[in-house]
Amino acid sequence: MTVRNHITTATIAGSLAAAIAMLSAPAWGAPKPPQPTMDKCYGISLKGQNDCAAGAGTTCAGTSKVDYQGDAWKYVAKGTCDAMRTPKGMGSLMPIKS
Amino acid sequence: MFLASELPAGTGVGFKPEHFRDIVAARQPLVFFEVHAENYMGAGGPPHAQLGKLCEDYALSLHGVGLSIGSMGPLDREHLARLRALCERYRPESFSEHLAWSSHGEVYYNDLLPLPYTEETLARVAGHIDEVQTELGRRMLLENPSTYVRFAESTIPEVEFLREVSGRTGCGLLLDVNNVFVQAKNHGTDALGYLENFPLDRVGEIHLGGHDEQTDDAGAPLLIDAHGTRVADPVWALYQQVIRRTGPVATLIEWDNDVPDWPTLRAEAEAAQAILERASRASAA
Amino acid sequence: MFGPIQNTFALALLDPQRPVPGALVSHTASPPAKRFAVYRNNVVVGLVNALAKRFPAVQRIVGEEFFAAMARVFVIENPPRSPVLMFYGDDFLDFIASFEPAAELPYLADVARLEAARTRAYHAAEAKPLDPAILQSLDKAALGEIRIVPHPSAEIVRSKFPIVTIWAMNAGEIELAPIEDWSGEDALVVRPALEVEVRALPAGGAAFLSALFAGAPLAAAAGTALGESADFDLAANLAGLIGAGAVTKVFLANLQKDEMP
Repeated sequence: MTVRNHITTATIAGSLAAAIAMLSAPAWGAPKPPQPTMDKCYGISLKGQNDCAAGAGTTCAGTSKVDYQGDAWKYVAKGTCDAMRTPKGMGSLMPIKS
Repeated sequence: MFLASELPAGTGVGFKPEHFRDIVAARQPLVFFEVHAENYMGAGGPPHAQLGKLCEDYALSLHGVGLSIGSMGPLDREHLARLRALCERYRPESFSEHLAWSSHGEVYYNDLLPLPYTEETLARVAGHIDEVQTELGRRMLLENPSTYVRFAESTIPEVEFLREVSGRTGCGLLLDVNNVFVQAKNHGTDALGYLENFPLDRVGEIHLGGHDEQTDDAGAPLLIDAHGTRVADPVWALYQQVIRRTGPVATLIEWDNDVPDWPTLRAEAEAAQAILERASRASAA
Repeated sequence: MFGPIQNTFALALLDPQRPVPGALVSHTASPPAKRFAVYRNNVVVGLVNALAKRFPAVQRIVGEEFFAAMARVFVIENPPRSPVLMFYGDDFLDFIASFEPAAELPYLADVARLEAARTRAYHAAEAKPLDPAILQSLDKAALGEIRIVPHPSAEIVRSKFPIVTIWAMNAGEIELAPIEDWSGEDALVVRPALEVEVRALPAGGAAFLSALFAGAPLAAAAGTALGESADFDLAANLAGLIGAGAVTKVFLANLQKDEMP
């Protein structure tokens, strides 16, 4: 970190006081539903499906699902990636040539 | 020298987190829950919070799936230490593992793989069980497997192999009745004969689970130990015969894939409970 | 001797080009190819499912078929080294980043990075978040030298892509829609109690938190953040940091000051 911006103790004390005031405001009390205007804000707490964070469980059972024998490059991503694309094209996916 | 704790002679089910709310909402007609040890090897979080809560009201069976007792290489000492820490944390009434291997070299294959039954593998398995029991300071149960192939070099029948391991190490046995049925179908042998020879006096727990039916290269039935359905009727019949001989034994319903809702799973456990109760009335009469 | 056979068996599990080990028999057909395939299948499908469980948003973005095909290549090249599968796939994101068929989705590896952090947070050790009241009692003159102890579950995930929005759309948090603003988003992942939370960080937030998590004192961390973004708002970031439960202790030099003396 060569960039060293000077921050005075007074600035920090003021910020801390403001932070304490924010924390005691009701907005911080309970998680709120996401709002588009708040997208970049700390106030949003996204949880997702908590169980999805568990990762893999183990099992002492076999599986009767059948293996995928195909080669990966023959598949084209067909999930939500297309729905997130914009006219500008970001996030788009062109069909993959084999 | 070993901790002499045992599971109570009633029914239990394999715990799945999706059932947690239903389970704690009421007192369940069960005496124990079983969990796969490897799923509780994180430092904290919901798995431990849930398991701690279950342990307040029910006995616990810790069932390992990753120790690889059938490996010809050495046991994973780090994994054994994790198991010991888990046993110290929860003091389970039972610890069990499989007559199988799942790791080789550095790789963990995440399946219960078969081994030949020979004097060489018998010595190896018995040595590993001695090591586990010493490390954990308790007796363990060893479970009979489901397998899909056999080894040309096998010389010892599976039941004799299990009896001998138990005799040499003092370990108990976990009798998976579905595995007995799967094994007999897959290898053209007789499940009743297997059970007649099985050292039932060594059994500390019974497993019941569902299997899938496929066919092998020759079109013969090949049953997969998939734990994704109800217990099959012929498996219930075998279970009744076992219980008639043993009296009540701790019995677990295993349902690991396509997990059903809680009432469905509990109903399976209650079916086993009814069989246990008939057996205890019969022995009291 | 079973040792060499076990080795052959193990190698054939992940390599379909290898023959069925000659030591295997069955009472019906020989070699028991379909029977051995059950083991190959169990291993690969089981591990692919393990990855699907840990990376559900990645799976949703590319679809089940593509995910399974991609995960299968990863599994065969990078089988687990531990029987504790909850953390299997920590390096899946590096694989995705270099996986040619996924190159058209350059954000995919960062979404995987976020999901991997969520699993680590889910299983992290418990710790009680700092009580904000403790901040009132700090010595005002020394505030700049204060350091923090991060919550064991807290991680920062930075990205040039809008990964929080992308993740949220694929975790059922917000509706799926075209994303107009493809600017980067940084995330704070933390589990102050039992639920893993993901928060999008404001300008300079990731630099600020990363510096604090690495042990920098408050003034230096704020300076680093300001150096990265002139819009950095120290008060909002402090409130966010504490409010998210991402701090368990604040201390000055060697004097630890936690929620209760």
